[in-house]
Order: sequence, then C-alpha cells, then structure tokens
Amino acid sequence: MVSSFCWGCLTRLPPAPRAILPPTLTAQRVASFHSSAALLAPPAKKQNKPVGGKFRQGNSARMKKKKPVERTRPPAVGERKALRKRIILSNPNALEIPGMKEVSEETMVDARLRGSILGLPVPMLDQLRAVQAFKPKQGWSIFRRPGTVVRRETLELGRLIDGISGEGEDKGKVVKKIVTGDRSTGKTVHLLQAMSMAFTKKWVVVTVPEPQDLVTASTAYAPLSDENPNVYVQPEASAALLSRTVAANKQVLSGLTVSREHAGLLKSAVKAGTTLEDLAKMGIQDPAAAWNTFQALWTELNATSPAPGFEKNFKPRPPMLVTVDGIAHWMKESKYNNVDVKPIHAHDLVFVQHFLSLLKPGPSQSSLPNGGVLLYATSASNSPTVYALDVVLKQLAARQAGVSPSSPEFPQPDPYLNADKRVLATIDTSKPVAPKEGIPEIQTLGGLSREEARGFMEYFARSGLLRENITDAWVGEKWSLAGGGVVGELERLGRRLRVTAA
Amino acid sequence: MACPSSNGLVHAMHSLRQTAQLRSFAQRSVLSASAPIRHQQRQPARGYATEVVEETDKTTEKPVAAPEIDFSQFKSTPTRIIPVSGAYFSGSPKFIDHLLKLESILAKYAPLPTVEPTEAPRMAWFKLPQFREVVGEPVATKKYQSLLKILLRLNRIDQKLMPDEVRDALALFTRPGNPYGFQPAPPTVNENGISRAKGKRKEASAVVHLVEGEGEVRVNGKTLVEAFPRVHDRESATWALRCTQRLDKYNVWATVQGGGNTGQAEAVTLAVARALLVHEPALKPVLRKAGVVTVDARRVERKKPGHVKARKMPTWVKR
Repeated sequence: MVSSFCWGCLTRLPPAPRAILPPTLTAQRVASFHSSAALLAPPAKKQNKPVGGKFRQGNSARMKKKKPVERTRPPAVGERKALRKRIILSNPNALEIPGMKEVSEETMVDARLRGSILGLPVPMLDQLRAVQAFKPKQGWSIFRRPGTVVRRETLELGRLIDGISGEGEDKGKVVKKIVTGDRSTGKTVHLLQAMSMAFTKKWVVVTVPEPQDLVTASTAYAPLSDENPNVYVQPEASAALLSRTVAANKQVLSGLTVSREHAGLLKSAVKAGTTLEDLAKMGIQDPAAAWNTFQALWTELNATSPAPGFEKNFKPRPPMLVTVDGIAHWMKESKYNNVDVKPIHAHDLVFVQHFLSLLKPGPSQSSLPNGGVLLYATSASNSPTVYALDVVLKQLAARQAGVSPSSPEFPQPDPYLNADKRVLATIDTSKPVAPKEGIPEIQTLGGLSREEARGFMEYFARSGLLRENITDAWVGEKWSLAGGGVVGELERLGRRLRVTAA
Repeated sequence: MACPSSNGLVHAMHSLRQTAQLRSFAQRSVLSASAPIRHQQRQPARGYATEVVEETDKTTEKPVAAPEIDFSQFKSTPTRIIPVSGAYFSGSPKFIDHLLKLESILAKYAPLPTVEPTEAPRMAWFKLPQFREVVGEPVATKKYQSLLKILLRLNRIDQKLMPDEVRDALALFTRPGNPYGFQPAPPTVNENGISRAKGKRKEASAVVHLVEGEGEVRVNGKTLVEAFPRVHDRESATWALRCTQRLDKYNVWATVQGGGNTGQAEAVTLAVARALLVHEPALKPVLRKAGVVTVDARRVERKKPGHVKARKMPTWVKR
C-alpha cells in the first residue's frame, strides 16, 4: 500500500478532491483539530418536517389541560405538633466529656463544682421527661448528654433541698419562691435543676409545665359541683397532672399507702392497703373523678399521721417540690366562658386555685406539712401583661429589700389602672401560723458570673462545638456580648458556627 | 488666568487716572466709593477743576485760614460729572475696585515672608452668593476665584509681620463672626473618670459615657441583650472596644434615640469610639483601621414626586 506521505519532501500528499468523497460524509463539517473519527459517526437522521403549513389542523388556540399536581399527603393530625414539641436529649456527634459529674446527693451541695456542668443521671431522664422538665428550644440536642451549669443560685437551692430533707433544723421547712428574671436567664432550667435534686432526694415532684394550657379553653371544663357553680374543674387537665405525677414519682408513690378515707372516692376502691400509685391511677383512668382523686392524693401526701384504722404500713411522707412555669397566665381572665357568656377568671378554676392557694400560709398548719419547696416561675417571652402581677412582684422585691409596707417608697398599685384585686391578694406575706412555713420570696435570676461563664463556654469547647481558645479575655468579651452573662445568650454565642476566612 | 485681564484693567485705570486725575478717589476704599463726591479734598500737587486752590507761601507769610467755602456758589462748575470709580463703565465697578486694591496691596507687600498654606489661619471668606450681595453686582464665579486667590496669598503672609493694612483688607472679605475662629476645647475625662461623646448614624443619635470598669454595657438603662436582640447589632455596638481588646476594661452607659436597631447600634459604635479616644488618644490609628472613627453621613434619600421611591420609577405601561 502506498503511504500518504511523500517521502521526497516529507509532506502529506494532497488529499483527494472532495467531490470524490461520498456525499453523506461531506455533509458533516468537522473541525480540523478534532482527532476523533467524526466521519465514522452514523449520519444524522433526517427529521420529519411537514411540507408546507398545518392546513388540516385547527388553528385556534388550544387550552392546555392542567395536569393534576401530585400533592403529598399532609402529615397526620398532631404529627407537626409532635415534631415541634419533640425533645432530643442527645447528639451522638458531640464529643463525650470524660470525667463529667452527675447530679447526686454529694455534688448538689459541693461549692467547688460552681461553674462546672453537672450531667443529669440517665435513669432520671425518664422522670424528668414525665414531668415535662425539658422544653424544646433549650439546646439539649447539641450535646452528648443533658447537663446544667452549676451557678450560685443552683448551689443555694441544693443546700436548701438538702437541708429540708436532712435531719437538721431545716427539716420540714417550706420555702416559697417566685423565680423571675430577664429573657433566657435560665428560669426554666432552674426549675429543672430543682426537680433533678428533688428526684435525687426522693421527693414527690408535682409540676405544671404549661400553665397557659389551663386557661386557653383547650381542655374540657365543668362546674365543680352544685354547691360551687362558680368554680370550675378541668377533668382532662387534672388527669394529665395525675399521670405526670404518677409517671415521675412511681417509685415513691408505690411505697406509700392510703392513710384515711376520702369522701369524694368510692369506698370499695380505696382500702387500707391501697398504694398511692393505685389511688392516682384511678383518677387517670376516669377523668371525671380525676380532680377528687388528685385532692385525695394531695391529702395523702400531706398527711402527717394516719387516721385510726389505717396505722398499718403508714410511712412518713417525703417533702414535695411544686413547680409552675409561667404564672402570669393564671393572673387574668381565662378564655373559658360561664353560663352568662362572661369570661371566667383564672382564679375560678379549681386547678389554678389549688396551686395558687399554696402561696398563702395554711389556715391551721403549713401549706406543705411535710416540708418542701414551691417554685413558681414567670416567663419573659410568653407572658401576658398583667399590671397587678407586676405590682405584686415589685412589692415582694421591695419587702425583701427591707422597705416597710407602710413607708411611702413601698410600691402601690396605681388607682387609675384598675389593678386586679384578686391578683393583688394572691401573694399573702402575713406571718404564717406554722413555724416552719416561709413567706413567699422573689428570686431574680441574672447573668452568670465570669467564672461560671468560663466553665460554661469550656463545656462547649470540650463538646467539640466551639473551636476557640477559651481565655479569660475571650470569655469576658462573650460575657459582655451576652448582656452580662445571660446564659441563653451565651449558649447562642457558643453554638454559632464560625467559619474563619484563613 | 484672571491676572492678565486684571492687569489689562490696571493699564486702563492708569490711563483713566492720568486723563481724569482721579487718583485720590481711585485710591480711596472702594466700599466708600458710593459716597457723594466731596469737594473739600485737599490735594497739594494737582487738583480738581472744582477745587479751590489756596495759594499760600509758607516761607514768606503766616498761614492764614482759608475762607469758608460757599457750596451754593462754585467758582467753576464741571462740564460733566465724573464718576468716582475708574471702573464705573465696566459693569462691575465695585468688584474691580476691590480687585485692584488687593492687587496693589499684594504688590506692596509681596516681599514679606509667607507660611505654608496649611499653617495659615483658616478664614471664612464670603461665599460667592454672599459676596454678590455685599457688592451688589453680578460677579462671575471665575472672577471671584481670582479674587480669592489673592486673598489666600495675602493670608499666607506671616501673622507676626502682617501689616494692619492687609489685616483690614482681609477682614473686609470674611464672613461676620468668623465661624472658624471658635475652636471647641478638646474633650477630657471629667473628675469622675467619665468621658462623654456623641455619635450619629442614619436617624439615630447616641450619647455615650465611658468609664473604666468590668465590661458592663447599658443602653438606655437596659442590658445589651434587651436593647439589641440581634447578635450582630451587639457586636457592632461594642466593636470599638472589642477590636482594641478593651471590652472588659470599660463600662459603657449609652443613651440612644431615633432610628432603628441598626442605626442605634452603629450610633453607639461611633460614640463609644470617640469616648474611647478621650481616654486613650493613641488608639486612633487602630480605631480608624477598624472603621469606627469615620462618620457615615449617609441618610435616607428623599422621595421625589413622580417616583415610587427616591429613584424608582413607576412601571412603564404602553397605554
């Protein structure tokens, strides 16, 4: 075969004239720099184009039919809410902190642990979930395990709870506190810490995690009885309260037995050996009897001695922790209507009445005869404006600061602002009859101190969330940015993902 | 540029003076040029035609008081009224007189030592509209610039050696109550260790009291978190302290009003930076680099009629 190279001049021979090539190949234009054999590609198919116009078809504009859009089914009823209210307590991607201590009888009073993070014991998590101690947006889901920072107020509370359940002079004391503070200063977490300590000490914990739900007319209500037509009972809410209490305090309640007869309950159901757990479960199963059951349970828990005939198996009752998170909703008219279609005041709901009456000194004995702590928190983000409550809180603060109620500096309600008298009477600071009962105090939570803030930020760093050198200067800067160590703001600063340019 | 033309004018003036013998009037202050012609002006060498020439021989005779002039009866009346200013027919005679006078002063004192323009005292010269009002003539911008040029050159004469004539001449062209004459005293830390400064941004204005402390910040009595819910605003409000690592060394008490969140935060930034400069003036280069010294003077542009917003036009419709 003849090579296409001309060996004489080392150039390619001129190609054959194009006309010789088959027409199908010449139809394709190929760039000269292509190395691939484009000429070998199959020839493009001829497209069928109609000759001339579309004479045989209609020319009018045709409306296109809309295709039915495939819509996914909306999530089932309650699914969205469940997702919104879901509480995640663990993040497997976060680092585990070696040597992290847990809440226990020793650590809750250990002043050396101030500023460190105490983990919540895993078995206690179910109890805390049962009393709804966790709220959805508290950032539990970014750490390996839930833990809370030990601050000054926490240590005070730990010592208090330790003293009440101990054998010292504080035994059986009743402490009533109203926890206030700015937004995200840790009021709810303070309640959580109290609960965790109470569970550690085997107290009975009764909580109202969402007071708002009782006044928004979202649960059923009915007049309490024919004698009290103006007081209303909420059976479902009462049953829910019982179920929370039973689920969280199962261990304690199953060890206690009934100590007397109860008027509102069936005699056949409540016998001498019935445990308090069984008693409470009756109310859960039958919401109509829930309120009476709760009252029976409350009487039992506050019993100091058995009635005659019930002496067998009587055990002294443990102290109680009662927490309410967001009392401002209970200080105004509810969304419920009475028969005259007038709004019912929240204080006319027997549930609310019961918990608010605890703030007043008991008539003959202490409001919690076996001792305990009442922690009623306000909310800064979800709270209606109640002028009377503001006045009450100011009065409490003034009294605590040593201002005498008769002095002109003592805050008084403005007579032209129509402060709600029932609210003003809520908190009674008169001298209690029982010697161990305290008068309501106000506890204002502020920011963390710098040392506490440093411990808190180190927790973020050790969990692998924060890649910074935690120095005093850095912490001081964040402390200022967080408005003086407001813990929720510190958390926001700590969890903020930072991408450095370098 | 303006010099040749003014020089040309000078020549014209000379010729005018020689012909009309108006030297004495031309040399008089032009501001008084509008005064009526006065006839008792004494000129020893050459006089007016209207002047009464006294013939006294001091060497031989005792001086005798001149007889009182009777204004009602002149010995000789001028054939035509001659204007005071030689530039009377030039359209802007007063301005030209000013210019000529300044030029003559400059020529007179040109050899005096001068200082750098930056070291010359700052003078508030008349703005052009004001100057026009003063002379009552239409003065072109460029002409006025040439006048200003001479003023600036005269102003550069060393203050210690500046003759009163120059000083007076310059004073004629300054705005009353010299706005640059008042120099506020530099702010200082008061006896309680507090420095005070103001800042503005957008519609907000802030007053900051800065004192050495532990990093507490209060804005309108509220904490930083309550005042600025957004982290970015908090960071920008404290940026001056943060970039100099002084956040935990000062306490800030700020009062802000007007504007929105961002404006208030950045007004606080500026005020904090200024207050910090009172405590530590050496920080100025750092703060300038951090961008907290420069004032952002931008404001919202006004809406115009026919526009939807400041610039936006309504959508164009065919019909």
